[in-house]
Amino acid sequence: MIEFLQMHLPPLVAGLRVTLQLTVGGAICALVLAVLAGLGRRSRRRWLRWPANVYVEVFRGTSAMVQLFWFYFALPFFGVSLPALLTGVIVLGLNSGAYGAEVVRSAIDHVPRGQWEAGRALNMSEARIMFRVVLPQALPMMLPPAGNLLIELMKNTALVSLITLSELTFTAQVQRAATLETVPLFALTLLIYFLLAQVLLTGMRHLERSVTRHRGQRA
Amino acid sequence: MLRDSALRWTRRTLGVLAAVLLAVWLWPRPGELGAGPGAGGDTLERIRSAGVVRVGFANEAPYAYVDTRTGRLTGEAPELARLIFRQLGVPEIEGVLTEFGSLIPALKAGRFDVIAAGMYITPQRCKEIRFSDPTYAVGEAFMVRAGNPLDLHGYEDLRDTSGATIGVVSGAIQLQYARAVGIPDERIVIFPGAPSAVDGVAAGRASAYAATALTINDLLSRTSAPLERAMPFEDLVLDGKVIKGYGAFGFRKSDEALLEAFNSVLAGTIGTPMHAKIVEPFGFTPDMLPGEVTAASLCEAPAG
Repeated sequence: MIEFLQMHLPPLVAGLRVTLQLTVGGAICALVLAVLAGLGRRSRRRWLRWPANVYVEVFRGTSAMVQLFWFYFALPFFGVSLPALLTGVIVLGLNSGAYGAEVVRSAIDHVPRGQWEAGRALNMSEARIMFRVVLPQALPMMLPPAGNLLIELMKNTALVSLITLSELTFTAQVQRAATLETVPLFALTLLIYFLLAQVLLTGMRHLERSVTRHRGQRA
Repeated sequence: MLRDSALRWTRRTLGVLAAVLLAVWLWPRPGELGAGPGAGGDTLERIRSAGVVRVGFANEAPYAYVDTRTGRLTGEAPELARLIFRQLGVPEIEGVLTEFGSLIPALKAGRFDVIAAGMYITPQRCKEIRFSDPTYAVGEAFMVRAGNPLDLHGYEDLRDTSGATIGVVSGAIQLQYARAVGIPDERIVIFPGAPSAVDGVAAGRASAYAATALTINDLLSRTSAPLERAMPFEDLVLDGKVIKGYGAFGFRKSDEALLEAFNSVLAGTIGTPMHAKIVEPFGFTPDMLPGEVTAASLCEAPAG
């Protein structure tokens, strides 16, 4: 048992580092994109709405694996050769961002119309209503689905072995190729993913609690 | 009250500290964001001045794999590549690990400069990339469950045994062999890698795993599952020719100069005692030398 861990844990931790890099980088990228595209889809201006719609539909509607393959193996033929890690972060971010945009949009849509009308009655500008009245109420509604997306993103990182990155799953495969100890190795890998998901979920729960505490009780 | 706020302060500080440590650990180290060489330009000149050549491999022992104890890229192809590139004035090789099926697209996209994975020369692959002259030739074998319950001794045997299925690794040549012999697709099981194929046969997902004799021997030496090499084994004959796989290094089509230089050093190396000493630890014996067969002749032949 000790020998097994001594042999396999150091490379798996190195793989976990890549998985985390992708998760954190991808999540930051996704957050920015989700807010931009989510607001863009609700915009009255066509030049904002259309790009946001195209982005969301393209990245929700195509396979993440094919996107990765395309960004890594096809883009260099058009003169863009991004490093593997950056490719992984961007594609995972673009993907989760597309789903996240819908979370942002639907949460904003669910803030009662009366809130907008009240804002206007107080002579607030549209932007001010959005940022001071509507978004603070929409934020607590976004967090539970955002937590789901974060876990999804973390598990999707396993796809990047396709593009020469040795993240957790791929490292497990390499170790398995060396020793053929499939069952204990994959059990250990599952455990690592599970613990990682628990850490992420705990973080999200903390965030939810602090947001609702600041905003008072909401249904 | 005081203790409460002190506690909160401690927790917050610890949280920030943990976040900072995590960020430091995750921050990309120099080289991790390297874009790779990128196609185009004179590759030979570039790798000579850099002193390092990037080689793609798929972690398949004994052809090219990472020794998990030392972390060193080793195997028949990387060790031979080290020897040859040293003579070409490139002292170091750096491995880029990827799936077998991604090797050719990654080479073409300039993610590395050479495929050093013991890849077979086939006419289909020749359409995509150029090959060096072969460095070894090896026959086929099956891995089956202990006792060979279905009594399988060759591709034709398997085809004529009702209910028998053949396991192959995705991207590997054995899929073409199986189809050429006439095994229907619904009896071909494609596994993502050699370890999965081993587990697959052990778990009864396929009756036999078809690979080169070398791969099968190597895997059997490491697994503890009740598996064996099907003996005796009838050589696969297609179009009147005994099928052997000829492994070589892969290059981009545009890298003429590099390929030429590589081939000329390779020709002076293959079959020498030095070569034998390098590849012998991986189970490559003198009877597996490729002889007079060249990449050009293998590219022309119809699909095996």
